[in-house]
Amino acid sequence: MTEISNLTLHFNNEIIFNNFSLKIQRGEKIALTGESGKGKSTLLNLLSGFIPGYEGTISVLGKKLNAETVSDIRKNIAWIAQDTSLAVKTVKALFYEPFEFVLNKPLKPTKNEVAEIFSAFELSENLLSKKTNEISGGQKQRIILASCLLLKKPLLLADEPTSALDENIKRKVTDYIMKKDDLTVIAATHDEYWIRNSDRVIEL
Amino acid sequence: MEKVVDINYFALFSGYALMLIPVLALWYYKTGLVKDTLIATTRMTVQLLLVGLYLEYIFKLNNALINIAWVVLMSVIASYTIIRRSGLKMKLFFIPVLLSGIISIAVTDAYFLGFVIKLDNVFNARYFIPVTGMLLGNTIKNVVIAVDAFYKRIDEEETYYRRHLANGATKKEALLPFMRDALRVAFNPMIATTAIMGLISLPGMMTGQILGGSNPNIAVKYQIMLLITIFSSAVLNVVLTIFFSNRIAFDAFGNLKKGIFRN
Repeated sequence: MTEISNLTLHFNNEIIFNNFSLKIQRGEKIALTGESGKGKSTLLNLLSGFIPGYEGTISVLGKKLNAETVSDIRKNIAWIAQDTSLAVKTVKALFYEPFEFVLNKPLKPTKNEVAEIFSAFELSENLLSKKTNEISGGQKQRIILASCLLLKKPLLLADEPTSALDENIKRKVTDYIMKKDDLTVIAATHDEYWIRNSDRVIEL
Repeated sequence: MEKVVDINYFALFSGYALMLIPVLALWYYKTGLVKDTLIATTRMTVQLLLVGLYLEYIFKLNNALINIAWVVLMSVIASYTIIRRSGLKMKLFFIPVLLSGIISIAVTDAYFLGFVIKLDNVFNARYFIPVTGMLLGNTIKNVVIAVDAFYKRIDEEETYYRRHLANGATKKEALLPFMRDALRVAFNPMIATTAIMGLISLPGMMTGQILGGSNPNIAVKYQIMLLITIFSSAVLNVVLTIFFSNRIAFDAFGNLKKGIFRN
């Protein structure tokens, strides 16, 4: 279980969270909604250990988040940022880079796995031979999503994961992710279809 | 051998007329660098003239402890210069930068002076001080470029760094692309310069030795060894500086501390 208890966080005298609590069961799909600046991305960054200065407690996948546990927690999450303009020159590197880490090496996807997810996300495998500046924002977003999902981590933290996708592809990607029963998903989103298909909507 | 032509002080100062070219160009394009150029040139002149004076005394004394103290002082000034020019906070980075400088100099000096030249006394002022000065002087630029590129890029490409960290990379793995880029940026020009050495550029040390009356053959051998020593020392210095600095630049969660930059 992932749990946030009595979270209070200030940024430059502005209160972002005031005594906020949330419990998330394994396999649950949570949509974090609300206006920009309400703390959706911040909550994902808090869960990933990127914002250490807060009051209250955060447990991720049953482990209390602190300096000692943060690397263990990160071993079990997949994380997608809203910004897809990463400093990676080739699509192949963008897709395969996470599998170069020692922890993820055994998870490097087979050709079939790549073909299956590329097909589900309507991506051509020819994209893997292109440079990142030759593909669209939507393709980049799907490449990053596909790579993260193939890491097969129990928890996916995603910031606006479908923001650059067309309506039709958005639905396919959302359906694909929502069908993964064992995968817990916490996503900051404005996407109506994603929100409708989530188990729970948390308005911040 | 032909007598060396001395430059008298009048001739030396008339040489400064050449500075009109950069000063006018920098002024014309409104770079805001004219004042800095004039200060730097004045500092360089005063410092070198003073060095000429006190090196004479240091060479006469040739005391190992004084020579070491002199090198430590040069390292302190070099560390200060590196941090000032890199935009990082002095109180956080001074010790890691100084420590890296001293270690890299100790290793490369010991090898070059002790093993290659086989000096009986590696602290012999005539070798130890100028060689170390060359190493430090040529390393500063590389360390500034590398350290600056490394931390600024992590800060600017925070999402990329976080993507690694939050998808199972160790801190070392997450930092690898930034380290790779910092080394590339810092050493690409040095590799290019090394490759054309002798073809379209004659290095300063060798030229100085030849003008000073040395046999060109000996001057060339010294220059080759010095270039290799400088390269080796610079890479070691950059790697150690980033290695030691990383211990204070990140919090316990692996996040780059925002407070490391000087505004």
